[in-house]
Amino acid sequence: MPAAAVKSSWADEVELEDGALPPSTEVFKNGLKIFTEYKVDEDQKKSKIVRTYRVEKRLVSKSIALRKAWKKFGESAYDKPGPNPATTIVGEDVYIQFISSKEEDNKPDDDGLDKLKALGDKNVVKCRNCGGDHWTSKCPWKDTVLAKMPDDKKPATGGGPSADGNKMGGSKYVPPSMRDGAAATDGSSMSRRDDNYSAIRIANLSDSTTETDLEELVKPFGPIHKLYLAKDKLTGLCRGFAYIHFKFKNDAAKAIARLNGHGYDHLILSVDWSKPMNNQ
Amino acid sequence: MKPLILQGHERSITQIKYNREGDLLFSASKDNKPNVWYSLNGERLGSFNGHQGAIWCIDVDWTTTKCMTGAGDNTCKIWDCETGKETGNIPTASSVRTCMFSYSANMAVYTTDKAMKQPCEIFIIDVRTIDDSFSRQEPILRIPISGSRVSSILWDNLDESLITGHENGEIIQWDLKTGKKINSIKEHDQLINDMQWNKDCTMFITASKDHTAKLFDAETLMLLKTYKTERPVNSAAISPIAEHVVLGGGQEAMEVTTTSSRAGKFDSRFFHLVFEEEFARVKGHFGPINSVCFHPDGKSYASGGEDGFVRVHSFDSSYFEYNFDY
Repeated sequence: MPAAAVKSSWADEVELEDGALPPSTEVFKNGLKIFTEYKVDEDQKKSKIVRTYRVEKRLVSKSIALRKAWKKFGESAYDKPGPNPATTIVGEDVYIQFISSKEEDNKPDDDGLDKLKALGDKNVVKCRNCGGDHWTSKCPWKDTVLAKMPDDKKPATGGGPSADGNKMGGSKYVPPSMRDGAAATDGSSMSRRDDNYSAIRIANLSDSTTETDLEELVKPFGPIHKLYLAKDKLTGLCRGFAYIHFKFKNDAAKAIARLNGHGYDHLILSVDWSKPMNNQ
Repeated sequence: MKPLILQGHERSITQIKYNREGDLLFSASKDNKPNVWYSLNGERLGSFNGHQGAIWCIDVDWTTTKCMTGAGDNTCKIWDCETGKETGNIPTASSVRTCMFSYSANMAVYTTDKAMKQPCEIFIIDVRTIDDSFSRQEPILRIPISGSRVSSILWDNLDESLITGHENGEIIQWDLKTGKKINSIKEHDQLINDMQWNKDCTMFITASKDHTAKLFDAETLMLLKTYKTERPVNSAAISPIAEHVVLGGGQEAMEVTTTSSRAGKFDSRFFHLVFEEEFARVKGHFGPINSVCFHPDGKSYASGGEDGFVRVHSFDSSYFEYNFDY
């Protein structure tokens, strides 16, 4: 009697529960099997259990199809067709954790080392007296007149390094907000995002977008650390937005500038920095 | 990925195996009812009721008509896969530790433990016809083992030789025509819990309590690769489609209660076949993993643990897209 399962209001429900529990129902709806069951648990509380199964058809070889029709036996002899929730449960989502290979870990280090080496050829060591590339104590002009006139030298050579420092982020510390790349963004984005990677949010994607499409879209801007495309649990279709974590902020800024308002798959994308979750 | 958790056993899983097509998954545990499951949706097809002791080993022939189990109740039984009925029963002198159908499934092998003043012994039996006289039938060949007992066994793919793994870490290749040793090596220091073929039976992987899994050439028993971990390895399997191996293990079952589950390292660990380097892990079990195996299509794998659960994992796209950098 499936009509009994359709309740019009909560008042009817109360009346129903005075008596026996409603019978369990099985509804087939667009490829889903919805199994509803009522139970009284140990605390004398009535509970409604709804299980949703997806019914799938697959083409398999003859021998497998034949085995699929075998009758259950042993402990399962009285089980209904389909998985018995007593013996088969779908576990929590687990992720395969990839252990990044050593080479990837080494790369940033190598880069840093290369930079240092490149610098080493120029001027890691700078004399405080004359500005030459030797230690102050080893300055050939230490005891001469030149050493006593650093003011003359400084404007000439001292101006050089500071200008260099701005250009290549070399010997002098430059706060991130003053660096070339960051100049494009305003100071308010100096949040925790800056610590790790630069995340952007792409919205208004069409539902047929896949991860590979997305990757192709954003790859030209620079190396990507992580890419997340929101997908519908059941259908697996895109839910219309995605987050991209770029390795470098410059690339992220470039991507926003280029992609915001870009026509993609008959829709116009809206791209912005990803807002932190606990944004006040 | 969302694994399917199969809770059909009351005690720890000892061995799991897929059939040739991979649609069925057979599981044996220390309770006395081996189970068979549909691997796709985790539905239980049935259980083979009749044993009275812990089941140590299970195997299925290539046509998925016969299933073979060996148990601690001193019997080795043959079952009909379709009906779950016991068709053959061989009483033995001590508990049956390993069993396996030959490639053609004309023959089968089982080994008994060294216990109750009985020696460890290898029995080769004819399983072409299973009728009432089956239990009285003389084995084709009996090989008594004087040394360390057999803890794992493999047939070669021509039904001509056997490879046994022993409690002391030895691996011996036997000629079936003469029943003599062809070759023996000792690359492991401790018990070899499991041995599994690669897809074309040219190499096999061993899993040993000495914290390593090793890859050997099947013909010459030459050591090819070593996969090192810091826990005993209970089982190892080779992917049929990728150059990956999966190792299952964890600390010994008897030590589990004294440490937290996080410290136990009960993950399935994926190693690259060639570079011997670990590249991924999958968590989930509450105890050591006793048996792992790949689905024959390589798109999913199952693990059975000391916690009594079998978990069937279907890989998601990140696994197939993963490229090992070298």
